[in-house]
Amino acid sequence: MAVTDMRVALGPLTLRNPVLAASGAYNFGEEYAPYCPASLLGGIMVKGLTPQPRLGNPPPRLAETPAGLLNAVGLENPGLEEFIRSYPPRLRALDTAVIVNIAGFTVEDYALMARALSGVEGIAALEVNISCPNVKHGGLAFGADPAAAEEVLGAVRAATPLPVIAKLSPNVADIQAIARAAERGGADIISLINTLLGMAIDIGSRRPLLGNITGGLSGPAVKPVALRMVYQVYEAARLPIIGMGGVSKWEDAVEFLLAGAGAVAVGTANFTNPRAPADILRGLDAYCRENGFAKVEELVGLAHK
Amino acid sequence: MGLIIDNSRLGAPEQKLYRLVVESEMARTARPGQFLHIRVADTPAPLLRRPLSIAGIDAAAGRLTLYYRLKGQGTELLARKRPGEKLDALGPLGRGFTVPAAGELLLIAGGVGVFPLLSLGEAAGRRGIPCALLWGGENSAFFAAAAGIAGHIPTRRYATMDGSFGVRGLVTELLTSRLAQPSTGGGLTAAACGPYPMLKAVAATARAHPLPLEVSLETTMACGIGACLGCALPGRDAAGGRVTRRVCLDGPVFPAEEVEWL
Ligand SMILES: Cc1cc2nc3c(=O)[nH]c(=O)nc-3n(C[C@H](O)[C@H](O)[C@H](O)COP(=O)(O)OP(=O)(O)OC[C@H]3O[C@@H](n4cnc5c(N)ncnc54)[C@H](O)[C@@H]3O)c2cc1C
Ligand SMILES: Cc1cc2nc3c(=O)[nH]c(=O)nc-3n(C[C@H](O)[C@H](O)[C@H](O)COP(=O)(O)O)c2cc1C
Ligand code: FES
Repeated sequence: MAVTDMRVALGPLTLRNPVLAASGAYNFGEEYAPYCPASLLGGIMVKGLTPQPRLGNPPPRLAETPAGLLNAVGLENPGLEEFIRSYPPRLRALDTAVIVNIAGFTVEDYALMARALSGVEGIAALEVNISCPNVKHGGLAFGADPAAAEEVLGAVRAATPLPVIAKLSPNVADIQAIARAAERGGADIISLINTLLGMAIDIGSRRPLLGNITGGLSGPAVKPVALRMVYQVYEAARLPIIGMGGVSKWEDAVEFLLAGAGAVAVGTANFTNPRAPADILRGLDAYCRENGFAKVEELVGLAHK
Repeated sequence: MGLIIDNSRLGAPEQKLYRLVVESEMARTARPGQFLHIRVADTPAPLLRRPLSIAGIDAAAGRLTLYYRLKGQGTELLARKRPGEKLDALGPLGRGFTVPAAGELLLIAGGVGVFPLLSLGEAAGRRGIPCALLWGGENSAFFAAAAGIAGHIPTRRYATMDGSFGVRGLVTELLTSRLAQPSTGGGLTAAACGPYPMLKAVAATARAHPLPLEVSLETTMACGIGACLGCALPGRDAAGGRVTRRVCLDGPVFPAEEVEWL
């Protein structure tokens, strides 16, 4: 049987296949090369970038929970200027769609980064992180309020011709309202979910386990929440969706596509299985062939029919 | 990937110490102080791999020896694996110890922190570098189970808090009295691994002497290969600037002066 056509079109962004690496799990794409070459992937979403360099949060930054992971890295990154100076040639060498994740503390921060990155060769899209739970100001504040989300997306839209992805937080009462606000603001694509706010306490020291006290939960534990939100956003907005949150095996990816995601991103699963994206792609291809789908895109949203 | 050759308890059950021997091509490139990142189960929990130091390297036989102490679910699942089973391990990972080319080497260990130092002692011995182990532990029961694993290191000094094995006191006291003696030609260097407060005290002593020191640090890890930034600690670059360092990739072994001691 012919191999499945794995290409996906997400509005203005066309990817060679629907499996990406999620932001923050893959740094700038190089560390996983010996296990899973980036050129196999539909794309990589690089570590969240801020206007200024950040050293990140104090340790411990990680705590394992049942089938989940809490992290409070705190957007450690080299900053916009150093990124533009040193990273583009390395990223182009990865031979995959590079999506740059940006996070700011003010609307102007986001606009400034979007403008500066627009002139950089080899960037396929910008992912606007309005959902980071691990920094004190900004981040999540923009993602929890529809008016603020619309304003940030509007500012980014005005600042760049690149495809704009709005990355939504699950830490909201009404995900559909935020998705619609991102659409009004001018986003081309919606990605979700970022991590769920959580915490763990060390019963020995009787203190919070993470240096930052709270952290973001990811991994298999959050998958049902992520899937539900993708399903709801598919019904609320017309924009294509990149689904993430606990995608660990090909069956998860199929579920997300059926729920309405046009592509998926793999984060935490890489830590357990560094070949997870390649394994997921193989399984997805086999599923399509066995079930008579010539194009992987035919799966998108079928759970709504 | 590796094949388990041996996975058995050392000494009394209360000490919860195990030796794991794996046959793997990783033995050909492994360096002292590097680690393996081990998946202990195929299930979604425990989710993360567990890092264990490489304690013995037999490149010719293609074998690595690791030691571990039972702590929680992960190490308990590991202890159930039997010879003949496959071991899903990434590695060898991280930056290991510098094996000195000359002089004399001090290995300074706190409890199970001795494990990564064992492979360094092995490598130094092969180069004919005189090597001494200063090893602090809980009590004689710990050493009854563990002391045998360091038999290849020619000189060994022990310390326990209750004086039940070796001298009474801390390993830092062993270090201070060693530093009071003259060293043989070529200079003294040191490597340490153990609980954080011990390493901090050893680093302070080394700085004051001065004694070139490398330390092997531990933090909780997720990816183990430098991609998630979850294991990072504050540090200093060679010029003294503030940086964050990934324990898994930039370490786990660091020059003591590049650690920002908290
Ligand atoms: C570079 C490195 C080398 C190590 N080498 C050895 C070794 O040679 N022998 C050995 O016995 N142990 C070693 N450790 C520690 C070992 O990784 C932990 O004891 C083990 O992961 C505990 O897992 P668990 O599931 O049994 O316990 P858990 O129930 O998961 O945890 C018990 C305790 O261990 C801590 N812990 C959990 N995961 C980690 C982790 N990934 N890193 C550090 N601490 C953790 C937890 O905070 C908790 O306090 C090393 C750690 C690092 C970072
Ligand atoms: C260690 C770690 C770091 C992360 N850093 C970022 C980040 O910088 N920017 C961002 O938008 N999301 C970040 N995330 C969130 C992931 O991109 C993803 O949305 C989330 O983890 C859910 O997917 P998963 O369950 O597959 O990991 C991070 C997640 C983890 C685990
Ligand atoms: S454990 Fe992921 S960067 Fe070190």
